[in-house]
Parts: sequence; C-alpha cells; structure tokens
Amino acid sequence: MRLKRFFRTLPAKLWILLAAAVVFAFFSNDFGLVDIQKTAVILAVGLDKTATGYALSAEVAVPKGSDRTTGGTSSVLIEGEGETVAACVSELYEKTGWVPKLIFCDLIVLGEETARQNVFDCLDYFLRSEYFSDSCLLAVCEGRAADLLATTSEIDDTSSLAIEKLFSDASEKSGAVMKTTLREFARSYYGVSASGYMPYVRAEQGADGSGARTEQGGQNGGQDTASADGKTIYDAAQTALFQEGVMTALLSERETFAFSLLNGNVYAGTLTVDGMTLSVLKNRGSVTLVPGEAPVARMKIDIKVRLQNRSESASANDVALGRLTAEDEARIGEALAERVGDLWRICQNTGCDLFLLRQALYRTALSAYDRSASDLLAVVRPDIRVDVMGVW
Amino acid sequence: MKLSSRQLFFFLAAVAPVGKLVLMPSQLAALSKNDLLFPAALNLLLQAGAVFCALLFARRGQTLYACLRERCGTVFAKIAVCVFALFLWLAAFVPLLEQKLLVQNIFYDTLPSYIAFAPMFVFSAYLCAKPLEACGRTWDILAPMAAIGLLGILLLAVGKADYGALLPVGAAGAGGFARGALGVADRFFDGALVLAMAGRFEYRRGMAWKGLLCYLAGGAAVLFFLATFYGLFGEIAVFQVFGFTRISKYFSGVTVLGRIDFLFIFALAFAMVFYTVLPLQAGVTLAREALAPRNPLFAPALACAVNAAALIGVLAVNFMMTRVMQVFSGPLVWVFPVFSLAVPALSLLPRRRRHAP
Amino acid sequence: MTVFSAPPAGAVFFAGTHNGRRGTHTLRMDRITDLKQTLTALKRRLPAEDILIFSFRSADGRAFACVYADALTDKDLLGEQVLSPLMRYRGAPAASAICECVTAPEVRRCGSLRQLADEVLAGNPVLLWEGMDEAASVGVKKIPVRAVAEPPTDVVTRGPREGFVEDFKTNTALVRRRLKTADLRIDTLTLGERSNTAIAVCYLRGIAPKTTVDAVKARLSAVEIDVLPDSSYLTHALSSRPHSLVKQVGTTEKPDIFCAKLAEGRVGILADGSPIALTVPYLMAEDFQSAEDYFVSAHRATLTRLLRLFALLTAIYLPAFYIAAQLFKLQLFPIKLLLTIAGSIRDIPLSPSLEMLLVLLVLEVLNEASIRMPKYVGMALSVVGALVLGETAVNAGFVSTPAIIIVAFSGIGLYAVPNLIEQTSVLRLAMLLTAGSVGTYGIVLLSAFVLLYLVTTENFGVPLAAPFAPLVRRDCKDALLKYGLPSLHMRPKSLLSRNKRRMK
Repeated sequence: MRLKRFFRTLPAKLWILLAAAVVFAFFSNDFGLVDIQKTAVILAVGLDKTATGYALSAEVAVPKGSDRTTGGTSSVLIEGEGETVAACVSELYEKTGWVPKLIFCDLIVLGEETARQNVFDCLDYFLRSEYFSDSCLLAVCEGRAADLLATTSEIDDTSSLAIEKLFSDASEKSGAVMKTTLREFARSYYGVSASGYMPYVRAEQGADGSGARTEQGGQNGGQDTASADGKTIYDAAQTALFQEGVMTALLSERETFAFSLLNGNVYAGTLTVDGMTLSVLKNRGSVTLVPGEAPVARMKIDIKVRLQNRSESASANDVALGRLTAEDEARIGEALAERVGDLWRICQNTGCDLFLLRQALYRTALSAYDRSASDLLAVVRPDIRVDVMGVW
Repeated sequence: MKLSSRQLFFFLAAVAPVGKLVLMPSQLAALSKNDLLFPAALNLLLQAGAVFCALLFARRGQTLYACLRERCGTVFAKIAVCVFALFLWLAAFVPLLEQKLLVQNIFYDTLPSYIAFAPMFVFSAYLCAKPLEACGRTWDILAPMAAIGLLGILLLAVGKADYGALLPVGAAGAGGFARGALGVADRFFDGALVLAMAGRFEYRRGMAWKGLLCYLAGGAAVLFFLATFYGLFGEIAVFQVFGFTRISKYFSGVTVLGRIDFLFIFALAFAMVFYTVLPLQAGVTLAREALAPRNPLFAPALACAVNAAALIGVLAVNFMMTRVMQVFSGPLVWVFPVFSLAVPALSLLPRRRRHAP
Repeated sequence: MTVFSAPPAGAVFFAGTHNGRRGTHTLRMDRITDLKQTLTALKRRLPAEDILIFSFRSADGRAFACVYADALTDKDLLGEQVLSPLMRYRGAPAASAICECVTAPEVRRCGSLRQLADEVLAGNPVLLWEGMDEAASVGVKKIPVRAVAEPPTDVVTRGPREGFVEDFKTNTALVRRRLKTADLRIDTLTLGERSNTAIAVCYLRGIAPKTTVDAVKARLSAVEIDVLPDSSYLTHALSSRPHSLVKQVGTTEKPDIFCAKLAEGRVGILADGSPIALTVPYLMAEDFQSAEDYFVSAHRATLTRLLRLFALLTAIYLPAFYIAAQLFKLQLFPIKLLLTIAGSIRDIPLSPSLEMLLVLLVLEVLNEASIRMPKYVGMALSVVGALVLGETAVNAGFVSTPAIIIVAFSGIGLYAVPNLIEQTSVLRLAMLLTAGSVGTYGIVLLSAFVLLYLVTTENFGVPLAAPFAPLVRRDCKDALLKYGLPSLHMRPKSLLSRNKRRMK
C-alpha cells in the first residue's frame, strides 16, 4: 500500500526535484557560461609573421554605454603573439581577461610577410575552429596588418568596418574589387587548382583632402575613403594572386577590373577607354576550357555599356543620342581584350590557375587531367572574345 | 491511440531524413569525396526496401513480438524481441553522440560543460516511458516543421552551390564507394524502426507502396542536401561537420538580418531531438511488450535505466567520437545490415500453416 | 403578521443523516403532518433569522402559514397573487383546491419537509395550512440580479455584446433565446452539499455525441463538494489530467459563443452564480479564435489569428531567447544589436538572467496589483509602474533598457490570447528559468516536452492539439486559418459530432 502510494506520488516528486534543479542551476549557473560581459567581441583580426611565429592583432568592439549620443562602435586593438595563431588567441585572453569571441569576426587581414608564405599555416586555425565563421572576408595588406588596423578613417571609427565597406556588394558590382571569403579561398586552395586571390588593401595618407578617385571613377570605386586633413585612405583596387597558398603576383586595377568582368560581376561599374567614360550596365563573363590536344581557354566577356562622358566636345545631336558607334565599340572591345590578355599572361607566368582550368579539366576529362594537369597553364592557348554593345 | 497511416508517411518523408544531416555529410565527403551521393543513395534504396518489407509485414496486423510468439513460441519471441530492442538501443548511440556534439556547437558559443547535454536524457526518459504510438501526433507537427526547416536552408544555400563539384562521377572509385556505403550504414535503420511500429497502426490498402514512395521522397531530399553541401564546400566538405547548420549562412541576407537561418536550423534540431530518441523509445516499447505488458511501472523504470545507461555511455566516450565511429564502421559494421535489412526482409517469411484438427 | 424568529424549545422531531451523496438527506421522519408540527420542524431545519413565517387565516377561519426567505421573495407578488386570494378562500383543505385558488403561475406541490426547505432556500415561499395533505410552494422569488452587459474579458467591436450574468435562469434564457429548437437540452442537476448550486448541462440533441454528454453528467455527478462558488470549480472534474497546467475545458462569458460551440457539437455547462460558462471538449485552437473572427472577412480573421499566435509565441519565447543568447549564444544577435545590448548592460550589477527575472516579476506584480486595485488608484499605479519603476530603474542602472522593452512586449503579447494567460505566464517563467540555466538547448528541450505533453493530452476522447495533432485537414479551415463561411459547411470532425453537416 505504502509502495503504491509512493509510486503514485513519484511523478510529482520528480517534477519538484527537476524544477528545483533548474532553479538551482539558474541562480548558480556555470555550464561553461561565458556571458556577454566577459566576452571580447572581435570584429577583425590582422595576422603578421614574426621571427618566432605570428602576431595577431584583434580589433575588439567596445560597446558604448547606455547613454549613446555618438552612435557607431568604438574599438580597441589588442595584440597577441605566439608560435601559432591559437597561441596568439590565448595570449589575448591572458592579457585582457576577456574571452575572445571570433564568431563575429568578419575580416582577416594578412600582412604582406604572412602572404609570402603559405597562408594556410595561419588560416588553418580558423578553418579548424567550430566557433569561427568561414564566411569571413580575407584580404592581404601592404606592410603589416597590425599597422593597417591601427589606422583610423573618417568613414568609421573602427578601421575594420571602414575596410569592410570596400568589400560591399556595391563595390563588387562596380568591378573595382574582387572579394573573397575564407570558404571560397580554402575551396580553391584545397581543390585541384590550388589557386586563389584576395583583395590587396593599402592605407594611404590623404595629402590634400581632395581624395583619390579610382580609374573606374564611380562612387563604388576601389578606393573607399577620401578624407580631409591627411587622414587614412583605404584602397583595395589591386588583387593578390595566390598559388598553393603563397602570394605570387598582384593584379593592377585594370586587371582586377578585367577579372571582375570575366566573373560576370559587374553591373554598375565605370570604365574609361580612349577618353570615353562608360558605365557598365550589364555584364556576362565566362572562362571555359576546351580540352584536346591543344587545349584552349575560352574567355568571353559580354557587356552592355552606356556612354557617360567623352573628353572631346561633341555636337548637340551626338549628346542627345549618346550612342556609341561601331568603331567605339570595337575600340572598347580591343582595350578590354588587351587587359584580359595581360591578366592571362600574369597567371601563366606565376602558375596561378586563377580561372580554375585544372579544376575544369578534372571535372570534365579525368584522364586528360591525369596526363596534363601539371603543365596545363603552359600549353593552354587563350581565346579572348569581348562583345561590347552600346546602349542609350 | 494508434498511429495513423498519414503519421507514418510523415515520419518516413520528413522526420526520418533529419537524422542523416549531422555528421553523415562530412563523413561521406571524407570517405567517398565527390561521389558521396552514391553510397548514400545505395543505403537509402536498401532502407527503402526494408521499409517496404516492414510495411508489408504490418499488413498482418501483428506486432513483431506477437508474430514471433505465434511462430516460434513465447521464449524465443521474448529473446528475439529483446535482442532486437538491444539493437535499437545500440543504433541510438551514434545519433545521441552526434546530437551531443551538435548541441555543443550550435547551441553554445563556447564549449559548454559536458553536463549541459544531460537534460536531453530527462526528456528522452519521459518520451521513452510513453508508448510508440504517442509519437504519431508529434510527427504531425514535426513533419511540416522539418520540411520547412530543410527547405529553408536549402533555399538559402542553393544559390551559392556549385553542383559541378560533384564531377567527375566515379572519381572515388569502387573503394571509395564501398567505404562510404559501409561507413555510414549505422545511420540507416529506419526499416528496423518501422518494423518496431508494426501492429501499432492499421494497415491500409497500398500503404507499403505509399510508404516506400514517402521514404524515397525523403531520401531524395537527403541526396539533394548532400549535393548542395558538397557543391558549397567541395574539397573542404571533409571538415564541415554538422552540415545542415553550415550551408545556409552564406546567403547574402544573413549579413543584413543576422542569422535568420537559425530559425530553420532550430526547427530541424527540434525534429532531430525526437528522431534521436525514437530508437530508444522503440526498444523500450518492444521490451515492455515482451517482458511485462501489464506492469505500468515497467516502461518508466526501463526508460530511466536505458537513458541512464545512455548518459553514462555518452559521457564515457566523450572524447572518443572518432574511435566510436571506427568501431561502428569496423567490428560492428555487420550489425546494421542484419537488423535493419535482413530482419525486415525475413519478417515476410510465410506464416506457419495451421493444420485442421 | 406573526413572525417566529426561533423554533420552540425542545421540539426535536427530525435528525438528518448524510447518506454519502451530496445534496440529499434521508430523514427518519420527513413527511408533512399537521400545520404546527410541520412549521416547527421546518423552522428547526431552517433556523436562520432571515427565514420568516407569516401566519394568517382564510375567510372560513382556516389557519395558514407562509414560510419564506426574506431577501429572496417578491413580497408584492406574494401578497397580490397568493395571500390575498387565500384570505378570501372558503373551501376544502385539499392541496389541489388551494393551488387553484392561488393566482401565481408557478405553483408546486411539495410532499416532504426536505422539498419544502429546498424551495424556501431557493426563494420560493411555501404554504402550509390546517388539515393539509401536501404543502405548496409558489414561484415568486426575487433574487437580486446584475443586468446583462458586455463581459469585460471578451469585448468585441462587431457582434453581439450580451454576456452571461450570475443568475442561472437569465443565462439559460440567453441560451434558449438563441437556440429556439426542441433539440436544445438543458439538463439540470444540483451540486454542492451546502450551496445546492444548480448546474445546467446544455447540448443539442442529435449533434453532441451521446458519449460526451453522458461522460459530462457522470463526471459532474461524481463531484463531492460542500460549496460550489463558481463554475471554475468544475473544471477539475471535467479534466482528464486534473493536476495539469494545461487547460482542458473551454470557457466563455458570451452566450453567442456558447451557442456556437453547442452547435459545433460541444456540451456546455452553466452554473448558478457564475457568469463563466464551460464547454467541453476543448481544443487549444479555440483560444486563438475570437467571436469577432466570424463577423469580419476571412482574410482579416486569418491575419489576426496568425498575429495572436505570433504574439503568444513571442511573449513566451522572447525573454528566454534573449537570456539564452546573452549567456550562451551571442550569435543569435546581429552584431549591431549585440553591441547595442552590450552597451546597455555594461553597468548593470545583475546578471542578465537575474535582471530579466526581476523585471518579469515586477511586471507580474504590477499586473496583479492593477487588476485588484481600485480603479481610482489605477492612474497612480501606471505612473509608479511606468515612470518610477521603469525609467528610474534604467537611469539608476538597476536594469537595462532592452530588458524592459522585451518584458513589456512579452507582457502585451500574452494578452493577445487572454484565455490562455494562466498557462502562458507560467510557461514563460519556466522557459526563462530553463534558458538561464541550460541555455538555448534547454528551450528546445522544454518546447519538445510541452509539445509531447500537449499532443498526448485528450479530454472526452478529443485530442487537445487537434486539428493539428492529429491532423484533421477539414478542421484546419477554422483553426489558425479561417476560411470563408461557405467553406465551413461541415461541423468540426475532431469533436466527433453526430451530425456532420451544418450548412448546405
């Protein structure tokens, strides 16, 4: 009888026990708890090579108090050194007492020295970490990454946020910047092509406050900030090429634009050819490999452009029509083909399979890949076709 | 309360696939590289066959235990059903470990205490104490939830996927195919689950075919998921564990609105909780039927015992996930084909004819 | 008028023994004898001072007595329709002849003392006379009744505004007025050993399942209680899981809703003294519907129902997720929001979970106080609550602004579905405690538990979570979604109605 009663009331007792446990845990919580107040929210990291390993500069967001009058986010730059990146991160913890949270890190800037060696020696940490998002942007910078992140810009108090503006969708559509994420870069690196690219960021001191303008010239140009009083200007119009994780070459602004066009990214860019400034309204681009005895890399660009400005004066009728002549279109096509040719030669010279031709061969003709993968870039012949169409 | 045919179809089409989205994609990518679809498809087809057999068996309207008792006697039936229950508990082990790792990674920003996963076993014990039939209504809710979750993450991911990464077909070779097929065989035990449900739902005409089609539809969703997963990650898919939590974050809207994809991920994780516990519950239901069908305290007691054992097991192998995987795809690799394929097929053996007196 | 205020000393005639069933007594001597003895026995049984006896004689000199409850009887009617005719009466002492003499329409003959006592307590005066074979009771009661008005808990902008009141007869009349059919059955029973509360079990014959009707009557009959102050006391008897947090009996204060529910095949219960009507079987989806949904366009109704669901889920989950995100999973916040929150809570001395618990408790206290507090203090309470506790607490750095915003939204959200507030406020607290202790995964597990509990709960054979679990496609047309009236030609299948079609 007593046993029966015990079992009848057992569920209620278990519930009370469970509720008590939850309440106890609520008031004395420590299930590996690292709450918001004990956390250093890292917005960006810079990685520089040192004699003994790496120096990691973390830009940590410092939230403003509840009395928010200024808006925006302020940040502090904290540096940690160690043999590996993980050791650097640990040092950050030791230095500050805050637990570094990399989950919000949206930008990794590699110093030039770091990029001269296999960058996956240091990116390995971020790929392994479950608490790091591989959608974060990658960039190489001129000089030391720590120096770049230490600069300030008028665009944003936080340098990383100002730099990230260079990699906005609008910038990408302008064709001035070729951005990449850790996932994309790692895919290329671990793929059969083992090649990749990153935007190359430079910090310049604005001399006269007039601000720099890109060759493409539009508001979405490669140079983001132009500040008065000699403040920092960030520029990501160049692109660094990587082969097997090592930086092998730098693409100029013109070549970067050509690369963007080949990727079919450009929808609102501007282009200046022979005194004509054109806005790119639509762009399709592709690079396909035609395998065979003499493989061909077929590079095709289709663009629709509109004349924005001509350096020579024109008749009122021409202004009104704003149409490009066939000759103009041919000249633009030739100029672009020349840029693509330059781009191809750089890739060929450095062995960087920027257009993932080896991957294309691997996917479509496995036996041919086994035969000719190693010297594919040397034997492949470029076939560049640019189709320009003027619209008004 | 009995399961209805619709609930069973919902389970086969939408709930059963969610258990295959955690570690299996990256494991398959490691074993079969870009050919990961083929071993998965083979396992799915075999399981579809097993589900079909189990549904045909259910046409008799008997539970597994009742059928075995009728054919082979009570003692044999008790032993056989208990062995089958043991298999189901074993089958639950890898999903439980997966669930634990998943919880540590997607529900926490930093590695939490091991005990953070313990409340799962409280819920599991509660669910296990209920008969298998009680699950039917949860599937009515979970199926749309899981379907929306899966559809949501796929929609967010599909634009960024490069399906060409699946080429060239056959690059992994027969070895890669075999390794993949055997390596993930421990995630495919749905035939055994349906067999455990036999007799707990009313068989309707054409149910076996419909069930087969539902399972294949769910399987197709899994294959599409795997293709998208590999299309997104390519060669780095190997270390993209918890695939379903990763593929959707590259959607451009995520940068603007924050991790909206968590809505879908949580929906899937929610359905996954029930799916993970299901083999444990099925085992408890079978054991209760065989050992103490009339004792109301048996099921709760057994549920507590099984879950306590599972908790201890999970804590014991806390740092040995890879080793456990090796054991399941090595020495224990025969267990899954035997219980989840052969047993459902054998269940279709003709009934013993009754001679007229 | 002669009034006996106390029974004569030593006049002990009866001794009641309880037979184990509420509301009934077996008496050793319960029959009516002569006037004096009956009066004494009755007064012995009803010794209260408000039970009065009026003695008079008819025209032929026969002694009469009228026993009545002072506050419950309409004395004007009593004098006009009962006493005056009887004072002029000359005739035989037979009950039939006396009843004919009385001009009141509602006259009943009573054969036992118990019956007499019950009638007096119900407000019906009883007549006793010399040489009687039976006594008589006259229906001239006058109970103070609140006027029919719009219930404060169920206000509509379109649709009927009548609400049930505390008077049983008014309530049954309100129902009968809307369902003028012979199929409307109002079966009455009396519950409460001391309160003798009248209970009406209302249903439509041929529509409500007989099994449900019988089960309701059986469960009600089994209720053993001395006083039944309100119908809500019956919900435990009508629930399959009486100790559960989950609501298993529908409630309404509006006769139009009550009748609509009866027409769907439910059984309704009215209790004397309570304006709250109960309906069974109950479906959770009911509380996401409002009467107004049926008077506005289907699109609007669907939108508002989805909004109610959204508000309710947000109210339950938002504080919990806010805490879990802060403590365990910062990624749930977009980075800019995270930094804003981090800035707000920077100088707060309490941990995020304690802060949220504190604010939530303050809200509950304010809520409780505002309901109970006299209306003229309400304004002061608003000022104290909103300004002193809210703004000053933020300025003083005790709590952060996001916490206040979240709790405020949660508080408002719960009232989007007011009928579930008892359950959801507890659930919100449970979610918060779980989120603060186990984190996001705790929320998932608790939700899984709640789901499992809900889908496995049945009452009167009807699953609480129907028509979603089990999925009844036909009934989904009027659950969270609301189809137009022409699509709702069938009665809900989940309720197991005997008559399936309600509209051609």
